[in-house]
Amino acid sequence: MTRIARKTVGVLVFAVAACAQNPLSTPQDVEVGRRLFQTHCSYCHGSSGEGGRGPDLTTGQYRLGGSPEQLYRTIRYGIPGSEMPAVRASDDDVWRMAAFVGKIGSAGLDEKARGDASAGKVVYETKGKCAVCHSIGKDGGTLGPELTDIGRRRGIGYLEESLVKPEADVPVNSRAIRVATRSGQTIVGIRLNEDDLSIQVRDTNDSLRSFLKANIKEIRRDQPSLMPAYGSVLSGKELADLVAYLSSLRGVQ
Amino acid sequence: MRVNRSFPALTLAVMTLYGQNPPVTYERLKNADKEPGNWLMYSSNYNSWRFSRLDRINTQNVSRLHVKWLFQARQEEKFETTPLVVDGIMYLTRPENEIHALDAETGRVMWIYRHRNPPRTYNCCGKVNRGLAILGNRLFMNTLDMHVVAVDAKSGRELWKTKMYDYTAAGGYAATGAPLALKDRVIVGMAGGERGVSGFLDAYDAATGKRLWRFNTIPQPGEPNFGTWAGDSWKTGGASTWNNGAYDPELNLVYWGTSNPWPDYNGDFRAGDNLYSCSVIALDGDTGTLKWHYQFTPHDLHDWDATQIPILLDGEFRGQRRKLMAWANRNGFYYLLDRATGEFLLAKNFVKQTWMKEFDDKGRPEVIPGNEPTPEGNDQVWPGVDGGANWMSHSYSPLTKLLYVFAREERRVFTKDAIRHPTTAAEESDRPAGRPFFNRRAPRFAPEESWGKVMAIDPPTGTTKWEHKVVSPPWGGVMATAGGLVFGGTFEGVVFALDAQTGRRLWHFAGNDKVYSTPISYLAGGKQFVSLPVGDVLITFGLD
Repeated sequence: MTRIARKTVGVLVFAVAACAQNPLSTPQDVEVGRRLFQTHCSYCHGSSGEGGRGPDLTTGQYRLGGSPEQLYRTIRYGIPGSEMPAVRASDDDVWRMAAFVGKIGSAGLDEKARGDASAGKVVYETKGKCAVCHSIGKDGGTLGPELTDIGRRRGIGYLEESLVKPEADVPVNSRAIRVATRSGQTIVGIRLNEDDLSIQVRDTNDSLRSFLKANIKEIRRDQPSLMPAYGSVLSGKELADLVAYLSSLRGVQ
Repeated sequence: MRVNRSFPALTLAVMTLYGQNPPVTYERLKNADKEPGNWLMYSSNYNSWRFSRLDRINTQNVSRLHVKWLFQARQEEKFETTPLVVDGIMYLTRPENEIHALDAETGRVMWIYRHRNPPRTYNCCGKVNRGLAILGNRLFMNTLDMHVVAVDAKSGRELWKTKMYDYTAAGGYAATGAPLALKDRVIVGMAGGERGVSGFLDAYDAATGKRLWRFNTIPQPGEPNFGTWAGDSWKTGGASTWNNGAYDPELNLVYWGTSNPWPDYNGDFRAGDNLYSCSVIALDGDTGTLKWHYQFTPHDLHDWDATQIPILLDGEFRGQRRKLMAWANRNGFYYLLDRATGEFLLAKNFVKQTWMKEFDDKGRPEVIPGNEPTPEGNDQVWPGVDGGANWMSHSYSPLTKLLYVFAREERRVFTKDAIRHPTTAAEESDRPAGRPFFNRRAPRFAPEESWGKVMAIDPPTGTTKWEHKVVSPPWGGVMATAGGLVFGGTFEGVVFALDAQTGRRLWHFAGNDKVYSTPISYLAGGKQFVSLPVGDVLITFGLD
């Protein structure tokens, strides 16, 4: 081994060692982390990290990795381009939350849905017509949120509520709006982004549209969710099966 | 609208100096308004006006403004710096604690100074730094690990580094604000109001780094107002000084705002007014002795820091000419004080508020019950935790005689925290387990629930002359100019110039990332520029 190579290996070993350590991971730190988690994280991830509006954190699988350093960075800086914000807390408290998440993440993922996932797949593809708006992998529409890994990102209770009461919680990027232009057009769709100059919309024909505010007469934000409420469309069993199917969608591992 | 008949002469004077790097004396700082081509201190002058007397970019030609150069910081922290510009050289801080000296005309870097912090520092809200002070040939910067450093402005060499305090003490101290230089010294604040620290404001000898005085923002045993904290709560009461201040050379008074008391949302163990938290303090510049104080929010429970930067102006109030201080506070009220005596003159809310019934003659607010944080979360309180105003700078134009404030209209949820002592990390939970702490029906940044607005306020009366509404509550401030413009940037990164008289937007640029700072304007190579950090890039605009 050359000197440079030895040095490189040394640096790598040091880097790995640094990644493997959480400076604040005693049982007391984990307990403080659990309580901090209640304040900063439970709104989306559930009080035990079981998921809800945000992903189930008990799976031990995270988009940006599950090492202490990676968890620290994810909590500290958030995930750009996602709904996960940077958490406003001190470095120490971020380490403690990372310690708590690391602990629950190692608990593993239990199948919690009570329905039949394969029957739910049939409901999804036929009676539910879900694929008109939602996609799994490459297949399906793009008006609604992608569902490829929805079982990883949303808990069972949240999925049930979303089917029966779609307006209960709509992600900011999926809110329905109605834009009336000065030239007389009316466009209904999903608000993708907005600043003071323009607004970006995916319309009900699945087209990406952008409008300068100077050309807009009115923006209505009080539109109901574009998703139908399935409580009156599907039977109780069909709903349970559909939830089981959605919960089984874990994306590409 | 065109000001300053002597402006060409002044410009010429600055141009002559350009390239020679003469020292920035106290006389120059006192007369910063006479050097409109430079930006000599964080808030532009001791009155904190953030007003540029340059008018080459004006209401007639601003539509032609365009990007001239970028400074690419390439970092993940919030870019909160306000650069200084001295005779053609721009000095800015890049997180964590670097100083970069650039050619202000082209953005080319000339030298870099790096202070290395330990891996763990105790900042509440990002490893940020807001900028520098200059005196003589020395630049001064506060560091996250509680040092003040002096760096040679020509070479970037470190001249001295003084430890202000043990940054690991209590729950952890940090320093993020820009220092304020006056006479032969630099005034320096500290942060840690969320970590059970004990606040102070310091003065250091600019030549040696020796500490000249320290004012404890929480009275110590035997000092007046010591009894405004129950039990031992004064020891961990916060009241930090994390932003910048103002200075009146005639009165020799340093004005500085103080932060919230600790613990932020739970006052159970700190009964009393908790002086001098959420206050403005007026200190003798030579000795650091307290001349007067005014507390905006006694016994604060909402993290409504009073760390906004005081704006000093002279004018008539009810027929009498007075030395005034204007203050748009985080608690949602605009205040006018007499800055010689601290007398309360008036207060008026500039955003929606739910907590204040009326002020008595001394300016003490009578609080409306029901606005306190609760364990399950109180979502009926306006303004929100980030306030109607925060640390972002406001601007005063002596031409329009208006105060410009980039305000936040926002409802948020206030949750009564469990108390966790910073030194032992032992926590008493007073929360029902398993309950979510944010109300699902109160999303934080939905456009219909919260927004921002640039406002023009008439200082003697507090009345609003105009408002310019934007999509989101801002984290950047505003700068008025002699060109009849008000510059700023939104949370989505829209950089704008408004008509200072009407609030109409005359120019914009889509920066497409968050703005956490306030614009400056300066001359380099005889041309006027406007600079503002957007995302992690400092964008500099010009006409030609």
